[in-house]
Amino acid sequence: MSFSDAHSPISDDLASRRDMIVCDNVNKWYGDFQALKDVSATIKEQEVVVVLGPSGSGKSTWIRCINRLEVHQKGMIAVDGVELSNDLRNIEKIRSEVGMVFQQFNLFPHLTVIDNITLAPRWVRKLPKSDADARARALLDRVGIPEQADKYPGQLSGGQQQRVAIARALAMEPNVMLFDEPTSALDPEMIKEVLDVMKGLAESGMTMMVVTHEMGFAREVADRIIFMEEGEIVEVGTPEHFFTDPTEDRTKLFLSQIL
Amino acid sequence: MSEESGVALESATEDDIDDQPMLKPEEPSLPPGEWVQKNLFSSVFNSVLTILTIVVMAFAVRGLLNYIFSEERVWSAPATNARLILTFAYPESQYARVWVTVGLLAVLAGTSIGLWAQWAGVSAKKLCFWSMNLGSGILLAIVLTQPGVHRDAAGEVLRDADSAVLRKSFATAMSDRLVWWIVGLAFIGAGLLAWNWLGEMRRRTIRVPSSALIFGSLGLIILSLWIVNYGHYAFSDGEFIAISGRTVASTTKQPWTVMWLILVGSFFLGRRISQSQRAVSVKGLMNLAWLLSPFIIYWVILRDPSIDYSHVWTTDLPIFLAFAIGGGAILWLLSYPGIGEAGRLAGVGLVVVAIFQFAAAFTGWYPMLQKARISFVVLALVGLAASNFSGERSQRVRFVGVWVVLMALLHYFATVMNSPATVDVVSENFTGGLTVTLFVTALTLMISFPLGVVLALGRTSSLPIFRIMSTAYIESIRGVPLITILFFFSNILPLFLPDGMDIAEFAAIILGYSLFSAAYLAENVRGGLQAIRRGQYEAADALGLTSPQRTSFIVLPQALRISIPPLVGQVIGTFKETSLIAIIGGFDLLRIGNQVIPAQTQFLGIKRENLLIVAAMYWLITFAISKYSMRLERRLGVGER
Repeated sequence: MSFSDAHSPISDDLASRRDMIVCDNVNKWYGDFQALKDVSATIKEQEVVVVLGPSGSGKSTWIRCINRLEVHQKGMIAVDGVELSNDLRNIEKIRSEVGMVFQQFNLFPHLTVIDNITLAPRWVRKLPKSDADARARALLDRVGIPEQADKYPGQLSGGQQQRVAIARALAMEPNVMLFDEPTSALDPEMIKEVLDVMKGLAESGMTMMVVTHEMGFAREVADRIIFMEEGEIVEVGTPEHFFTDPTEDRTKLFLSQIL
Repeated sequence: MSEESGVALESATEDDIDDQPMLKPEEPSLPPGEWVQKNLFSSVFNSVLTILTIVVMAFAVRGLLNYIFSEERVWSAPATNARLILTFAYPESQYARVWVTVGLLAVLAGTSIGLWAQWAGVSAKKLCFWSMNLGSGILLAIVLTQPGVHRDAAGEVLRDADSAVLRKSFATAMSDRLVWWIVGLAFIGAGLLAWNWLGEMRRRTIRVPSSALIFGSLGLIILSLWIVNYGHYAFSDGEFIAISGRTVASTTKQPWTVMWLILVGSFFLGRRISQSQRAVSVKGLMNLAWLLSPFIIYWVILRDPSIDYSHVWTTDLPIFLAFAIGGGAILWLLSYPGIGEAGRLAGVGLVVVAIFQFAAAFTGWYPMLQKARISFVVLALVGLAASNFSGERSQRVRFVGVWVVLMALLHYFATVMNSPATVDVVSENFTGGLTVTLFVTALTLMISFPLGVVLALGRTSSLPIFRIMSTAYIESIRGVPLITILFFFSNILPLFLPDGMDIAEFAAIILGYSLFSAAYLAENVRGGLQAIRRGQYEAADALGLTSPQRTSFIVLPQALRISIPPLVGQVIGTFKETSLIAIIGGFDLLRIGNQVIPAQTQFLGIKRENLLIVAAMYWLITFAISKYSMRLERRLGVGER
């Protein structure tokens, strides 16, 4: 491992904050293939971390381990002080605190937009229907599509669907939001509308972990960038450091290929 | 996915169609000559095929027509026995009960159509086509049907020396059918006239509401009872009585007219409600009414149980109160939001108690009323699900309220089913014919559907014990012919039951059908479950839904939608398989046509007519189910994703 201390560099302001996600030497195998190799990182409250790397580098696997959509076999992951274990209640609790946005949106096609958003608040948080509806409409307003509340996902464009997916995750009032390549399945003209929503979310102080290929977003919004390759963390740094003065050869090679 | 796909979803209403600002220009239709050339005679091979097909079709249609209108047919056999076919030997003195049943169904059907139907209506263009097609069909039948026979004054068929039937000449036959010529030509003429008078724009924009068409044609059929005195004798008190003037038409025209009025009246009522604020709650109520209707009709209306009220006061009511209050209290506690792990443990404890009760029944440890045992099972199942209904006080009150209503229904029907019937019955089963066919189908589907869904979930479960049990059940049931299962349930099962436990043959048959049907339904639902993408599970998990919530809100609704076509196939299959009742000794539709009517002295050996009528009845109902499912698929947007 070429860059073992993934916890730095960190500004003093960040260092004083609460730890939101802690990963300590996380390892995961698919059969004999090792997808994650001793991944360690700490993400602080209100921090925006962008994970970059070539495809197949383990970015998505890592982010999916954090709310246990994938199970890591070795190491430790803790979210907001609660360690992930096999206890079902523990997992359900963490999942309801961690919002996730998928590449393929994964909206529920048989439910209207408003029902997509209110389902979990009503059944997991036990919110009365009227409160859940009010919250959902406020969130739709926030992501810029209040007029689509009673449509079905199939009637919306890709960008609108992804914004509904963000609203759906936010309706659970999570402490952390995970984004797994949120713009990769979108047409170019729709990417901006989703990124704008994500920027607004970052400005509001949400803790975010974003796997993406949008370099502009990473440069502008990220507090830190983590670069992964072949299942391990290669380099961690501020966007300025990462884009202008990377230390690792592999990072330089990656940047030369995409920029 | 494009914006237009939404039209297939619920938002499509009649308004959408009316409001179209501009019509797409009509495809210029080819002149008939060119159309024929393009579609039927485009090449030598196609021409040969076309001519061959027309010849074969003409012979087939001619054969069928000659069969139906042959002088040898005795159509009075099924016509006279209409009541036997529909309700078997239900006593005539109690026939008002049958009309109450039909009336109840008319109310339910009319209200439901008014509440739910979103019919776009039929365009005037289509109606013109239908009219012309009907007219041409009549003309074709007139020409194709062979000429009638000569009869002597007594009505006997005249034969020549070789005892071959003497037929009239073609010209005489055609002039005999003058009335039908006029009818056929009138339909064609009306279609053509309307077509030209309306013009292209109005032909396509004018729409006749489907409800008006359906209720109108039903009304016309009923009106015909008043005009044409269908000349068949009535079948009364088990005897074929030739009382002239007492025809099927004359004895049923009044009740049928009342039924039609009820149907149309409740349709308008449903329409009214659908526009009011209460639509949602009334729809829920209607669903409940449909679910309860087979039980109410069969055990309450048709059987008219004589309830022993002293038993009700001393036994039935106390047991009900014990479960309603005691069970309600348990559920109130279990739905307490902060109960946590203790709630789950208590739920499991209830299941253990419920299973123990049944073990005790079979080994005879202690006596207990059957319905108390069943109530324990229901309590255990509801108790397991109680944590999903925890929340505010009002929500818990509603949960317990539903429980009390459920118990009231369960204990009411248990009491009713255990009470003897007051209606005189000829055989053990007091209904037969179409009635029993429909009841067995309805009850079988109501039992096997939930069972099939549970089996499908079990077979796809990650818990090995459920998976193995479900797979074993499905595979062993599918490996046995249905008739074997029916024989087992009607003849052998009663011998295995412990002392004091009894099962009516009717119930045993339904149980057999349900267990069989459930295995097939399970496989259909499993197909739907496997079509759900992984992302749907992940999205539900990521939101923190528990696995029962994920199954009931996300996975099952989508899986069932996907499975509609095979599920409808299974429903149709179950409906037709009820004809096996004839083999195990019941009097269903088929047995009456095939054995009962041909055994009557007046119609000895008359089978073919009955079978044709019975087949037509099966086909009509099956076709209706099939049509409804197509509509349902379109409305739910199957295949849109």
